[in-house]
Amino acid sequence: MLDASVHAQLAAILPAAALLTSPEDTRPYECDGLTLFRAQPAAVVLPENEAQVVAILKACHEAHVPVVARGAGTSLSGGALPDPLGVVLSLAKFRRILAIDPLTRTATVQPGVRNLAISEAAAVHGLYYAPDPSSQIACSIGGNVAENAGGVHCLKYGLTVHNVRRVRGVLITGEVVEFGSEAQDSAGYDLLALITGSEGLLAVITEVTVRLCPKPQLAQVALAAFADVEQAGAAVGAIIGAGIIPAGLEMMDQPATRAVEQFVHADYPLDAAAVLLVESDGTQEEVAAEMAEIKRLLAESGATQIRVSKDEAQRLLLWSGRKAAFPAVGRISPDYYCIDGTIPRAALPRVLREIAAWSKEFGLTCANVFHAGDGNLHPLILFDANKPGESEKTIEFGDRILQLCIEAGGTITGEHGVGVEKLSSMCVQFTSAELERFLAIKLAFDERGLLNPGKAVPTLARCGEFGKKHVHAGQVLHPDIPRF
Amino acid sequence: MNAPADLRARPSADEVAAVVGKLTQDFPDRAVTSNAVREQHGHGEGMADAALPDVVVFPHTNDEVAGIVRLCHASHIPVIAFGIGTSLEGHVAALYGGVCIDLSQMNRMLEVNGEDLDCRVQAGVTREQVNAELKGTGLFFPIDPGANATIGGMASTRASGTNAVRYGTMRENVLGLTVVTPDGRIVRTGGRARKSAAGYDLTRLFVGAEGTLGIITEIQLRLYGIPEAISAAVCQFPDLKSAVDTVIVAMQHGIPVARIELLDDVQMDVCIKYSKLEGYKSAPTLFFEFHGSNAGVQEQAEMMQGIAAEHGGSAFEWATRAEDRGRLWKARHSAYYASKACYPGKEAFATDACVPISRLADCVLESKADADATGLVAPIVGHVGDGNFHLTVLFDGNSKAERAAAEGLAKRVSMRAIAMGGTCTGEHGIGVHKLEALVAEHGEAVELMQTIKRALDPRNIMNPGKTVPP
Repeated sequence: MLDASVHAQLAAILPAAALLTSPEDTRPYECDGLTLFRAQPAAVVLPENEAQVVAILKACHEAHVPVVARGAGTSLSGGALPDPLGVVLSLAKFRRILAIDPLTRTATVQPGVRNLAISEAAAVHGLYYAPDPSSQIACSIGGNVAENAGGVHCLKYGLTVHNVRRVRGVLITGEVVEFGSEAQDSAGYDLLALITGSEGLLAVITEVTVRLCPKPQLAQVALAAFADVEQAGAAVGAIIGAGIIPAGLEMMDQPATRAVEQFVHADYPLDAAAVLLVESDGTQEEVAAEMAEIKRLLAESGATQIRVSKDEAQRLLLWSGRKAAFPAVGRISPDYYCIDGTIPRAALPRVLREIAAWSKEFGLTCANVFHAGDGNLHPLILFDANKPGESEKTIEFGDRILQLCIEAGGTITGEHGVGVEKLSSMCVQFTSAELERFLAIKLAFDERGLLNPGKAVPTLARCGEFGKKHVHAGQVLHPDIPRF
Repeated sequence: MNAPADLRARPSADEVAAVVGKLTQDFPDRAVTSNAVREQHGHGEGMADAALPDVVVFPHTNDEVAGIVRLCHASHIPVIAFGIGTSLEGHVAALYGGVCIDLSQMNRMLEVNGEDLDCRVQAGVTREQVNAELKGTGLFFPIDPGANATIGGMASTRASGTNAVRYGTMRENVLGLTVVTPDGRIVRTGGRARKSAAGYDLTRLFVGAEGTLGIITEIQLRLYGIPEAISAAVCQFPDLKSAVDTVIVAMQHGIPVARIELLDDVQMDVCIKYSKLEGYKSAPTLFFEFHGSNAGVQEQAEMMQGIAAEHGGSAFEWATRAEDRGRLWKARHSAYYASKACYPGKEAFATDACVPISRLADCVLESKADADATGLVAPIVGHVGDGNFHLTVLFDGNSKAERAAAEGLAKRVSMRAIAMGGTCTGEHGIGVHKLEALVAEHGEAVELMQTIKRALDPRNIMNPGKTVPP
C-alpha cells in the first residue's frame, strides 16, 4: 500500500489512467523475463514526459519510496522486479524517435523505443543499430542501456556501451543530467559508461543517442557441423587467432539444435555434436576473401559439413534458429532457466563436459547456446516448475554453472545483468575492495538507496553472511568483512 | 593557481620529510630527491608551468606501488602517477608537492594471448614497445597518439589518435585493469572475459580518470590482426572546406578508412619544411591509410578517390611501401614539433576539440577564421574522421598580449565545440587547463564527478587539483 500523501502527490502529477494501484492493474508488472521471482508493487506509474518523471522521482525521494524503472520487461535477471513497498516507473509511453542524423550517423530516441524500431527507422538512410539482443523485437533501448545488452553481432560491433553516445537521465533527487556527448568523446570521468549497465540503480533514463552503422553491402553466414564440441571450440580459437573478427560467431550444441530445428526448420545437421554459425560482412570483395579464409580454417579444424548462405533469405533462416533458441526451448519444456556466464574461450570444452555431467546428475536436460566469439555461454536448463523440487534443483544447477564460470576465469554475467538473480554470486566474483567501490558509486548517485533497491550490487553485510556459508578450497570468502 | 578549497589538512613540512625519509630508506636507489629528477617530473609537454614533487619513486611491482600509496594515505600526502611525461594538459605537475610515482620501470609485457587477441602489460610499457614485442605474432596494437607514450598514461588520459576512426580510443581497447586504490589496496577490474555485465563499469571509470581515482599499474589490451594489405595516400585540396567536406561524405558512406588526417595550408607548409616532404604544395591536405584485404583496400581507396575528386581533390599520391608510409606518418606525428621549429622562440600549446561529424566543417572553418582574426599563427591538424582536430597555437611567451590572445582563442575553440554538441577534449584530457571547459560542457554532471571523486578518494591525495574542479 502506498502512503496516502504520496498517492495524492502522484495523482496530482499524473492523469488517473497513468497511476495504477489496484492489485488487478499492477499484476502484469509483477515480474519480467525472469519469472522465477515475482512481487507486486504498491503502485505503477506511466509518465509520458520528462517533467512528470522529475516530479515522480522528487515525490518518491522525499517520502523515501523505492522506485523501479521498467522498459519492456524483458530482463532475464529480474532487473525490473518490483519492490513490494515501491513504485514501478514504466517508460512504455516514451516511444518517440526524436531525430536521425545520417551525417553524424546517430539516432536520438526516447527510452521506450524498441531496439529493432531504431534499425527500421534508420533503414532509409542505409543505416542500422548494431547491438541485437535476441529479444530485439520487443526490448527497449532504455533497458538495453541499463543492462548493457549484447547480442550475436557484438563481437565485431561492440556492446551497448560501445554504441551509445549520450544518455539523458533523471537522478532520484529529480535532477536532470546528461552523460556523454554527441561527439565521439566526452570530457571528464566516463559517467556514460557508469550509467550503461547500471541496472537502473543510478538514474532513470529519459533519452538516448545511439551510434548507427552503415548497412554492409553483403553479409553471409557459414554453418559448420562438428562431431565433437572440442573441435568446434578449437575452430573458434583458430578463426580469432588468425586475426579475423567475424560479424557473428555462435555455437549451439546438439540438444539446442534439436530443439530449434523442430521450431524453425532451418535444416540444421541434427547428428552433429555442435554447430557453429560464422558471419562475414562488408563489401563483396571483403566478404569473398574473408569467407574463403573462414572455410579453410573450419575445414582444417575438422568440420564435417560446411554450408554458406547463398542469399539473404537463407542467411536469415540460418540465424533464425539461433535467435529463436529460447522460444524453441520454451515449446518443448514447460519451463526453462537461462544462465548467462562468460568464460575464456579455451575453457569451453571443460565447462561443457562438466555441465553435461551435472545434467545427468540432476536429471535435467541442458541445451547450450553460446556467443562463442566472446566466450558468453547461455545454458538453458529445461524443467517443470509444477514438479515438486524441480525449481530448487534447477537453481542449484544454475548456481553451480556460474561458480564454474568464475573458477574458469570468467564472470557471472556476460549480458543479462546481475539483477536479483546473481546478487550472491557477486560476492564470489568480487573482492571487498571492489564491492566497496561499487557501493561508493551507488551512494554518490543515490544516497538513500531508493532506485531499484536490492539489485545488482550486494551489501557487504550480505556478502559477509554469504561468505560464511560459502567456503571455497578451505578459504572463507571476505574474511576482512566484520561479522556478528 | 588557487588551492582547492577541500585540500584541507595539508601535511606539514615535517610530515613530508618523514615520508620522503621512509621512501629513501625503503627504496635506496629508487627514491630520488635530486633537483634535476624532480624538475623533469614536474611537467609534461604542454604549457611549461612546472610544479615539482618532493620525491620521485620508481617502483617495480604492484605491491611496491600499493606500499607507497598506503604510506602517503596515512600522512595525507599527494600522489602523482607519472609515465613518460608526454601529457599536454599539465596532468603530472605536482601542484601541492608530494610523491611522484614514476612507473617507467614497470615495463614488462606480462602475457600475450594470440587466440584471444589480447595482452597484459605493466603500466610503464610504451606504445612502441608493445608493437615491438608483438613482432612475429601477426598482431598489433593500433592506438597511436603520436607520442611514444606509456600504456598507463594513455589509459589514464583516455588517449586516442590517428587510428581512432577505425579502432576506437583507449575506452574501446582497454579490457581490464589492475589499479592501486587511494588507500593502497590492489583491485583488478574487468579481465580476460570479453564482456561482463556484473557490477558498475570500473574499468572505464578509471580509464580517463587521469590518476585522480587510483593508479593504474597493469592493463589488459585488445589486439588486432595485422591487415593483409596497408596503403597510404595523400590528396591535396584547393581550400579547407573541400577537404573537410570530403571527410564528412566519406564518413557518411561508412568507408572503413583506418586513418584520415587533415592538415591545413599552414600546417602543411611547416611539415614540408621540417620533414622535407617533396612534391607537395602548401595547401589543405588529407592523409589517408587503408587497412584490409588486397581487394578491400583497393575498393576503399577507389571510393575515397571518387569522393575526393568530386570535391576538387588532386590525384592520390600513393605510399604502399612500409618505409614510405613511415615517412609520411612521421611527418604527420612531427606536426607539433615542426610548428615549434619553424617559429623559433614561440611557445605553443594544442587545442583538442571534437565535434559530431555533421558539425565538423562549421567548427574547423569558424576556428580557422577566428585564429586568422587574432593574428596568431595556429596551424590546424586533426584526426578528422572522428571529428577531432587541433590548433597548435603559437605565441610569444614574453608578450602578455599574445599570451592572452592565444588563451582566448583556445577557450573559444573549446566553447565552440561544446556549443556544437561536442567536447573540449577528444584525447588530451582535462588536467589543470580545461577545468573551466569541463564545467561548461557537463553542467550538473560535474557535481556527480566531484561526488565520485570524494567517495573514492576521500582524502583527496590522488593527483589533487586535476580533472574535476574542487
